[in-house]
Amino acid sequence: MVTDDTLRQRTMLVLDLMSAVGAVARGSTVRVAVQTPEQVGQVHDWCRASGNTVLAVHDDGVEIYRGSLTDASASLAPEQMPGYRLWLYTNFHCNLACDYCCVASSPRAEPRALTAAQVRELLRVAVAAGTREVFLTGGEPFLNPEIAEIAAAAVAAAPTVLLTNGMLLRGSRLSRLDEMPRDGLILQISVDSATPDLHDLHRGAGSWQRAIDGVRTAKEHGFDVRLAATLATDGSGDESALGDLCADLGLAEGELIVRRIAQQGAATRGIAISRATVVPEVCVTGRGIYWHPVAAADPQMQVADALADLSGAIDEIREEYLGYRRKGDILAATFPCA
Amino acid sequence: MARSVLVGAVAYTPNVVPIWEGIKDYFRGAPVEMDFVLFSNYERLVEALMAGWVDIAWNTNLAYVRTAGLTGGTARALAMRDTDATFRSVFVKRTGSDISSLADLVGKRIALGSKDSGQARILPLKFLADAGVTADNTTFVIFDSDVGKHGDTGRSELDALRAVLDDEADAAAIGVTTWQQLQDSGDVGVEQFWTSAEYSHCNFTALESLDRGVADDWVAHLMAMDWDNPEHRPILEMEGLTRWIEPAMAGYDSLFEAVEEQSVPLRW
Repeated sequence: MVTDDTLRQRTMLVLDLMSAVGAVARGSTVRVAVQTPEQVGQVHDWCRASGNTVLAVHDDGVEIYRGSLTDASASLAPEQMPGYRLWLYTNFHCNLACDYCCVASSPRAEPRALTAAQVRELLRVAVAAGTREVFLTGGEPFLNPEIAEIAAAAVAAAPTVLLTNGMLLRGSRLSRLDEMPRDGLILQISVDSATPDLHDLHRGAGSWQRAIDGVRTAKEHGFDVRLAATLATDGSGDESALGDLCADLGLAEGELIVRRIAQQGAATRGIAISRATVVPEVCVTGRGIYWHPVAAADPQMQVADALADLSGAIDEIREEYLGYRRKGDILAATFPCA
Repeated sequence: MARSVLVGAVAYTPNVVPIWEGIKDYFRGAPVEMDFVLFSNYERLVEALMAGWVDIAWNTNLAYVRTAGLTGGTARALAMRDTDATFRSVFVKRTGSDISSLADLVGKRIALGSKDSGQARILPLKFLADAGVTADNTTFVIFDSDVGKHGDTGRSELDALRAVLDDEADAAAIGVTTWQQLQDSGDVGVEQFWTSAEYSHCNFTALESLDRGVADDWVAHLMAMDWDNPEHRPILEMEGLTRWIEPAMAGYDSLFEAVEEQSVPLRW
């Protein structure tokens, strides 16, 4: 039953919408104040009926684009949709304490480890929501005692990449590696330079040689391996020499990933990260769900606290990201450079 | 030498710029090309037409009536939108109130729009007077929210509707386009109880001095705009028509009468 007062408020909102949207040019945006979820729904209905577009919903208002926009998701390839790729921080503690680590991992870091049971449930939900690639990272994942089970569960769900510093592949941890499937799993081992100097500068003396040894061990045990270098934007890294190192290690051309240092965690300098500026890659840690693995300890980038909220968090990330894309389309349309 | 005309219009919203840019582009290479100039209000536009600064004015119904009055009836309407020939004013009330006719408004409060709005003020006052409702027996709640724009912005009509919802008025007079937008928004707290006969709204107006051949060629090209042509359609959609038509002159009779009865000045 719609009361007179409800109908009056609903009509007032319609008049506000007609006033606000009617006063701006097509292709412009305007913000209309709302106070309840019902009003947000009404704004959505009105925009659909009037050929306008809801861009974003804020705590105190709705941002509206005058006119219609093509569906922002229609221009995305399936692999570009947030949630297609799922990152799992198996744990946060690490045998290293790299000075640029985006989550400040170290031997003293609280583990915040995921269990194999948690990972299996997360993967079940994620695959239902569209996940088709899994990345396992840390911390150093081989410090998680259940890493073999976790890797097996991930590979059963989707092609998987396991990120490691490669330094622990001996003894019981080598046994854990050997338990992992070869098909559908790539080991991504961190190597920042073709010689020890730069790598050891950030990661600690002797770490380069042990990483290289780890690459060779993993290959000898039948695993696909690729290298990943984390480099500053100041040109100090030598990507060409890293390519040569890949060839020397018997890695296929292209098995080298170069990442930039982000101003997160232990890094005092680097690329600034925010939800508006980084394409999301859904990331789960023992503390919650985050926008991107490079900011998996940044409260500003946390989307949900509870791991049980993964499906909803993926939806939330998608909606927010598509909103940014729509805004980008608007900026492109409104401010051509010439 | 290429022939061309300068068309004047009022920038009542930023959206008129792409409309007129589109129309100008459409006329490029036509027997009579055109450029346009925008004014901030219809008084300036009418003065510019009278002074010969523009050749053709895109006038509201009141701007046309004033131009006709200032020229002794020699100004010519050249063309209008199909939607201009079927304009109406609508009286609305709070849903469920017991008003059912204009005569029921005696002793009530009636919200009206800007003093230069044909659809929300001048014609409604005439319709009311014809029904015996005048300032002597009722109260008018006035919203001069967009004077100069002749009601084009719709602001004064929205203000009048708010007054009805807030119980500051018992009824409001608005244009049919505002009413249609409101109806398209789903359940609302107002309902119509009286609708006027159709009358004419905007038209392209020229003075007698505009060369007939130039005017005819310009109008012929205007009329050739085609809703089914994908290059023309966006302009027609933005301007709110499906085709340009010959002006329906009888549709201005009621406004001529209202202007005379209410002594609306030809200039202000």
